[in-house]
Formats: sequence, C-alpha cells, structure tokens
Amino acid sequence: MTPELPGALRRLRDDLAALRLDLELPDAAHARRARDDLVGQTDDYLLPRLEQMKAPVLMVVGGSTGAGKSTIVNSLVGAEVSPAGVLRPTTRGPTLVCHPDDLRWFDDDRILPRLPRATGGPPTPGTLLLVPAPEVPAGLALLDSPDIDSVLSENRALATQLLAAADAWLFVTTAARYADAVPWEFLATARERGTALAIVLNRVPGDAEREVTAHLQEMMRAQRIDAVLLVVGETHLEQERLREVDLRPVRRWLDGLAADAQARAELIRRTLTGALRSLPGRAGAVERAGAEQLAAAADLRSEADLAYASARQEIEDALRSGSLLRGEVVARWHEVVGTGELMRELQSRLASLRDRLASVVTGREMPSDQLREAVEHRLEAVVRAAAERAAERAALAWSERPAGRALVETAPGLSQASMELRSETREQVRAWQGHVMELVRKEGSSKRATARLASLGVNGAGFTVMLAVFASTGGLTGLETVVAGGTSAVGHKLLEALLGDQAVRALAARARDDLVDRVDRILRNEADRFAGLIEGRVPEAEAVARLHTAIDGVRRAS
Amino acid sequence: MSLDLDARLVALDEAVRVADGRLEPEEVGAGRRVIEKAGARLGLGIESTVAALAGPTGAGKSLLFNALSGGDAAAVGRRRPTTSEARAAVWGDGADTLLDWLDVRMRHRVDGDGLEGLVLLDLPDFDSVETAHRLEVDRIVELVDLLVWVVEPQKYADAALHDRYLRPLRRHADGMVFLLNQADLLSASEAGALRDDATRLLGEDGLRDTPVLVISALTGLGLEELRSLLVERVAARDAAVARLAADVEAAAETLRRWCGDMQPPGVRKEQRERLVAALSEAAGVPRVVEAVGEAHRRRGALATGWPFVRWVRRLKPDPLRRLRLGEGGGDGERFGRTSMPPATDVQRAQVATAVRALADEAGAGLPPPWPRLVRASAASDEARVLDRLDHAVGTADIEPSAPRWWWVASMLQRLVAAVFGVGALWIALAGVAGLLRIEDVVPLPERNGAPIATWLVVIGLAGGLLLASLTRLVNAAGARRRRRSAERALRPGIEAVADELVVGPVERELAAHETLRRSLAVATGDEDRTARAP
Repeated sequence: MTPELPGALRRLRDDLAALRLDLELPDAAHARRARDDLVGQTDDYLLPRLEQMKAPVLMVVGGSTGAGKSTIVNSLVGAEVSPAGVLRPTTRGPTLVCHPDDLRWFDDDRILPRLPRATGGPPTPGTLLLVPAPEVPAGLALLDSPDIDSVLSENRALATQLLAAADAWLFVTTAARYADAVPWEFLATARERGTALAIVLNRVPGDAEREVTAHLQEMMRAQRIDAVLLVVGETHLEQERLREVDLRPVRRWLDGLAADAQARAELIRRTLTGALRSLPGRAGAVERAGAEQLAAAADLRSEADLAYASARQEIEDALRSGSLLRGEVVARWHEVVGTGELMRELQSRLASLRDRLASVVTGREMPSDQLREAVEHRLEAVVRAAAERAAERAALAWSERPAGRALVETAPGLSQASMELRSETREQVRAWQGHVMELVRKEGSSKRATARLASLGVNGAGFTVMLAVFASTGGLTGLETVVAGGTSAVGHKLLEALLGDQAVRALAARARDDLVDRVDRILRNEADRFAGLIEGRVPEAEAVARLHTAIDGVRRAS
Repeated sequence: MSLDLDARLVALDEAVRVADGRLEPEEVGAGRRVIEKAGARLGLGIESTVAALAGPTGAGKSLLFNALSGGDAAAVGRRRPTTSEARAAVWGDGADTLLDWLDVRMRHRVDGDGLEGLVLLDLPDFDSVETAHRLEVDRIVELVDLLVWVVEPQKYADAALHDRYLRPLRRHADGMVFLLNQADLLSASEAGALRDDATRLLGEDGLRDTPVLVISALTGLGLEELRSLLVERVAARDAAVARLAADVEAAAETLRRWCGDMQPPGVRKEQRERLVAALSEAAGVPRVVEAVGEAHRRRGALATGWPFVRWVRRLKPDPLRRLRLGEGGGDGERFGRTSMPPATDVQRAQVATAVRALADEAGAGLPPPWPRLVRASAASDEARVLDRLDHAVGTADIEPSAPRWWWVASMLQRLVAAVFGVGALWIALAGVAGLLRIEDVVPLPERNGAPIATWLVVIGLAGGLLLASLTRLVNAAGARRRRRSAERALRPGIEAVADELVVGPVERELAAHETLRRSLAVATGDEDRTARAP
C-alpha cells in the first residue's frame, strides 16, 4: 500500500461513478450493479479504512431471515437493541452496537456516508441506528444487518451494501438453512473479496449437531470457504435471549478478538488487502461492460447511418434520373415560357403586375407559382418516402438487437418519419428555390451569364436552373419525356438549348449541391432521433480509457 | 370435464395459431405447451387428483408425506437437502400411466382411507445449492393438480419462494394450500401471528384465496384439517380441470398484453381513395386517358375529315397503339407489357407513402407489434404492384368506340367530294378544250351568273370544309366523353390491385388481430372487454 493509494482509489471511484451503462445489453444490469457496488464499497469502506487504520473493527452480522441475527446481537449485548421475533423479516433497519468510547468513530459520515444516523427509537429503514453498549468490548462494533433472502428486496440491497463495508462478517445460518443457495452466493462473494469471515451455525437441534456440522464443514471445504465455524444449539429462549451457555462459542471468539489488538489489526489488514486485490478484477469487468456498451452503440449508430445513407442515395438517384421532370413540372415550365410571362417581365413590370392583379381577381394561380408548387410537391414526395423507408429499416434493424429493442420501445413512432418532416421538407425546398433565385440574380449580372439565360429574366432563369438540376446528368432521358409529353417543339428546342448552355450547367451544379446539402440536413435531423436515444446512455470512449488508467493506477498503488 | 374448459382450450388453440409468427415465440410456445399439457392430462382421466408437497429444504415435506401416507417411505433427515427425487404415494388403484406421464418412478400404494384417487408427491427442495432439485420441482409444479406448499417459521417469507413460485402462480390460488409446519416450536400466540403474517404476504402475492393452515407434522397438529381439505378436493374431482383452466387463463393473459382492448379503425374510405389515386398516377392513367381522347380525335378526323387532306393524319401513329394499349379489348387476355413509360421515382414514392398512411391509420391505436405487422402486410413487393398495374391498364376496355354517324358523315364527305370532283373535272375538261380551241364540245351552262361547274366546285369545297370543321367539333366533344369513360373503365382494375395487394392484406391482418383478441377474451373467461374504438 503506497501513499498514492487513496488518491488512485478516489479517481477510480469517480470514473466508475461517471460511467454510464444504460444500453440494455444482456449483462448490463449485472454490470451496473457491479459498478454501484464498487462505488459503494470505496465510499463506505475502502477510503475510510485506509485513512483510519486504528478505527474499531466493524463486524457485520449478516445472514438469512429467521436465522437469529438479532437474537444473537441482543444476547451478546444483554439488551434489546434490535427487535427479534417470529415474523419475517424482523430487522428492517440496521443497528450498530459499540462501546460508548468507540461511538465517535461511527457518528459522523466517515463510513457509510449515505446512511443517516439515528441515536434513539426503534430501527427504521434507511437510517443507521447507533446504540452505545458497555457490554461490547472496545475496539469492536457489531452491525445487525437486514436479511439477504426475504421478500423485501430493499433489505437485500442494504445487506449487500453493509457486507461490503464490513471489516469482518459474522455470518449467521441455521440447521434448516445451511444448504440454501442464496447464502452460499454471499459466501462466495466474501471469498472473492477476501473478507474475514466467521460462520455461526444457529438453532442446531442437539441430536443433529454432529451430522449437520460435519456436512457444513464439508461444504465449506468444497467451496473453499476459510472461516471460523461457531455452533449454537437450538434452545428455548429465556426472555428472548439465548442462554449464556449456548452463546459461549460466539462470545469467546469475540472476546478473544477484542483482547488481541494484534489479531484485530491482522483481521482489518486481511479484509482490506483482499478487497483491494479484488478491486482491479471487478473494475475490469465493469470496464469490459463499458467497452461492450460502446461497441453496441457503434453498431446501432452504424445501422441507423446505413439506413439513412441509403435514403440519401435514393433521393440522389431520383434527382439524377430526371424523373422529377416528368409531367407537371415540365408542363408548367412551358406554361411559364409559353404565356410569355418571361417576355413581359422583361418588357415591363407593369404588365406582370397586371397579371398578378388578374390572378388575384380570377383566383387562378400564376404559372410560376404553380411551377414552384409542382417542384415542391415532387421533391417532398421523394424525400418523404425515402425518410419513411429509412426509419422503418433502422427501427427494424434496431429491434433485432437487445439493446436497440429496448430503445425502440421507449420511443413510439420511431419506425415512422418524424412529425416535423413534412413542414421541414417544405421549408427547405422553399428555401432552396429562394436560394436558386438569389443565385441567378447574382450571377445574372456577372459577365459569365449568357445573353440567352439573361433573356429569360430572373424567374424564368431560376426555373430553368431548377429544371437543369433535375436533368443534370440524365439530361437527355429527362428531355425525351418532354417530347413524349406532347409539348410544343418550339418549347422543347428552347429547353434543349438552355440545358446545353454552359452558364445554366454551372449554376445547376451549384444549385444541386445546395439541394443535396439541404436534403442531408433533413435526413440528419431524422437520423438524430435514433442517435439521440443512444446519447447519454453509453460511456464516452475517453471515459472507458480513463477507467482503464485508473484501474492501473490502483493496481500499482496497492 | 367442463364445457367451459373445453371452450377455453379451443379459443386458446385458435389464438396460438393466429399469434404464431406474429407475437413473441416464447409466449406463443408457452400457450402451445399449455394446450398440449391439457390434452395429455385430460386424456389420463380426472378420477385421480395429483397433489404435490413442495417447499424449501428443511420444511418437513418428507415428514408430512410419511404422516399422511402412514409409512416411512420418504427419508427424513437433518442433513440438508434430504430428498433428491420425487416420490409418490397412491391411494387406491391405477394412476400408473399418470405417474409415468409425471415421470415419478418411486411409488407406493396406500390402502384407501377416504382419500381414494389421491396421488401425493413428495418433491425435493427448490432453494438449496443443488440446482438439479430446483429443475425437478419446476418441472413437476407445472404438471400437478394441487400444490401443497410446506414452509416453516424461518423460511415462510423467503424471496426464493414468493418471487420464483407464488407470485407467478397467482392464478392458481384455488389450487394451492399453504402449510406453516413446525408449529410445535411456537407458542399459540406466535403461531397465530405467524399465520396472519403469512396470509398478509400471500395477499401481496395475489393469493388471497389460498387457505393457510398451521400444522405440525411431528405432533400431528392440524393434520386432520389438512386431511379433510384433501378429501374434499379429491372427492370433487375438480382440481385438474381448475388447474388447467387457470393455466389457460395465465397463458391467454400473457398473450393478451399485446392485443389492447379496442378495435382499430380499419381501412377508411378516404385512405383507400388516396391509395387508388396514387396508384392511378403511378399506372399512368392520366396519360392513357389523354391518349384515348387523342386517338378518338385522330380516328374521327380520319373517318370524317376532309378527304383530300385527312390522309396526312396517318403519318402520325395512333397514340393508343403507340402505347400498345387497347389491343386486349377488355377480355383480360393479354401477354407482355404495355409500352407505357415506367413509373417515376416520384410516383413510386407517392404510392409508398399512400400505402404507409393507409396501414398506419388502419391500425391506429394498436399496441406493438401490430403497427409493424400491419405495415409489413401492406408493403408488398413494389415491382409486383407496378406489374399488376400495368396489366390492369393493358387489359382494361378503353378502346374508344366509333360512333355510327361517322359512316353517314363519311358518305356525306364522299358526296361533297364527288360534287367537287365533278365540278373540277368539268372545268378542267372545258379548260383543256379551250386550249385545244375545240369549241362547244364541253358546254359550260351558267346559272345565277356563274357556270354550274364553278358552283359545283365551290359547293363541294365549302361543304367539305364545313362538314370537316363540324365533325371536328363533335369529335372533340366525343373525345371528352370517351376520356371520361376510359377513366371509368380503368378504375376497377386499379381498385382491384389496391384491394388485392394492399387493402386486403391489411384487413386480413386486422382480422387476425380481432380473432386473436376475441379468442383470448374467451380463453381468459372475460368476454366483456370488447369496447370498440370511438
């Protein structure tokens, strides 16, 4: 043990406490418990014990419900400090009994800082009742713990915490209980952590003492449990206490320990060393769980990314194939050209104002508004279908994984596109149209713009660039459909000439990049619904690495 | 056996069949196991009642077994755990096949003492370090008719008992007895308090109706009460049926969590309409309709146009033929695809969105996994949908009919063309004769100040053109009418595709949900919760 140890422990504790393990992997619950146990044991036991090696031995009396823990403590003290009875479970709040001189070690939050202290009244769940008793030898404190196996799960959790904080366990079992599965799990934990251990075999009928004791010893050997075995016979209680003669083995062992400072120090060191030795392995398991969480999160993220990448591909394919040009869009474009709106715009803004007035009066939309809407509808339909498909695919992929499944269940509607998709798509498409118009307006005044494009006016040129975006690579296929649509040859010739125009192409390329950017943004927002679920549930990669360093630090320091 | 159990088993069987492949395989499998078990158990007859003594190690099961069966067949010991294999005591004859089914080999017969028909099993413990014991208990607990829990004052509140067994078996409250053994170690007041506390804990487990007895297998305290309770249950011969009914209920209740309490809205008319519209668009119906009108105008012009120029129309192909449409004549016989341009990405996207919207709305309010199942049933193969649409368009009877007046108009056109021809020929002959200076061979009589031949040419020309423009107007109106009727003719085919590939599967899936919900309501014996969605 080096002087750096407390610091290293504190770092490890903080790193563990900050480690999130909230993806529901098969062993995540186990890992979370291990993490909380480690944090608890460091706070409750390791740090206080390292700082105060001279503090009294804390002996936790633990075991099954009905094994007689409280009766033994009461009998040792000679007073009713913890209620005993036939109803199970009896003890619901932990009681700490110590010599009055030792009380100062326990009434602050040196150990078990999260358990508030009480000094009178009956034991209550959630507090640690402190009872000074001159009968208890100095240098030794007894903590009557709740049971480990009754129907009250909070008892089990508290017992686990208290046992982790003990310098030594006084483990109480009975002739009827000694082969139960649950206590042996606790004993195996004590073995792994190197906790000093004494087992009290209580309530042994006189005729069975030899047989049961021999069997228990055999089991202890088989399980490699190294412990003192103290046997207490089954007797009728006198005023709720064990007779002194029956209690003698336990009292003798405790008195011996109390008298021998050397033995006490030895016991403390043994448990502390054992706990420190078990620490890297246990923390390592938590670290592995953290790494597994990271891997699972990466896997989930990549599934979602894959789904949305293919959605993006789908949209790009639709843009490239020229299929957005078919039907209405091109027809409307021809209307814009055909009605001479462009010409009029060039000639006089008054005429266009008149047109607009007419459209207000007649209720008919301007051809350019209709074209704007046609483009909007088409783009929206394609984006929506792609986003729906991606959401469905990602949700399906997630629900095939245990971690993802739990997440999908927390977020209903995840397998569909988000509610905001429609309005967001419209907004982005409109913004894109505005951007194209802006682009044309700016470039139109520059030298690079050709006369042909300029002759269309801002509106016409803008729409032409939009059409060029949809026809950019599959341009000719796009145009074939124009012919099939039965539009006038003049309009076709004009469009063909325009799409071949260098300036139009250059503008279309920029407009296309902008559109793809916007689609990306929309899809990213959609994909973020998936990524957001993982966020905050898994550790950061650095946190796992930090934990690894902290474990190494503790290993070196201890 | 009771009719009620029979009906519930049939309902559960139906539910399991519907749930198979739709809900959690594990839970569906549990339902199937219950049905199989019920068949096997009922086949073995309900004359015998199987009761099992179950409990933690050291509770005194074997001692009680010996006390009840009046022997020392079961080993009693201090060393824990003592009993490692189940053992049976049979009152009366028979029950061998039943014990074979239970796979209990150690058996011994007890002479009937009022308990004829009872098969009592002594089970190993479930809480010791021997996990094999626990597995054996788990296996037999599933199969027996009556469960007699034997516990002692130290262990009656153990989590291993309550969490693992009692709470999951809360539907079997009537088929269980809770014994607090080793009462000889307690005072009377302690025993009473213990009994109250045990009753409280059982109540928390959902087992308010389970009888709690305080007994001592050692001194015989309370054994008479236990015996009369067993006599009653064995004589009634209802334990097996009650146990199975509770099992059916439990399995059905588990599956029922996935069904919800209400019926989904189903496929609404507007959604179907939207889908048909999207499919029409994808099938190119507007284009076909356009082509029908175009074809009618073209054919009308060919039949009734001015004969001297109408042949020009032949240079452009018939728009319907160009799309390879209207050849099938509506008899459904057709091979190969039309030459319609394939559906665009936009159209496909619109179909996909319409399908999703229809499925989502039809299954609205259903708990998972139904929304996913409904969607999956609707989203069939896209290529197949498009292929079927093409076929529907190709086989629809959209060929525009040729009106009868075309023949009359054609005749008229020929007549005025002949008039024109005669006049023109006349003038030509007169002209040729004039050139050749042959007088009076071709007479040119005049009428109203002009030669008759000129009149003939003028009347022929004007009549032809007038007739052509008149028929053109009428044909335009006819084209509009034929476009509408083509639209009507195409609709049933599109609707059939929508119904067969989308609406039908969705409705079948919803019907499966409804069947499952109803049969589970029967299986749980609770048929009232059939509220409809508002």
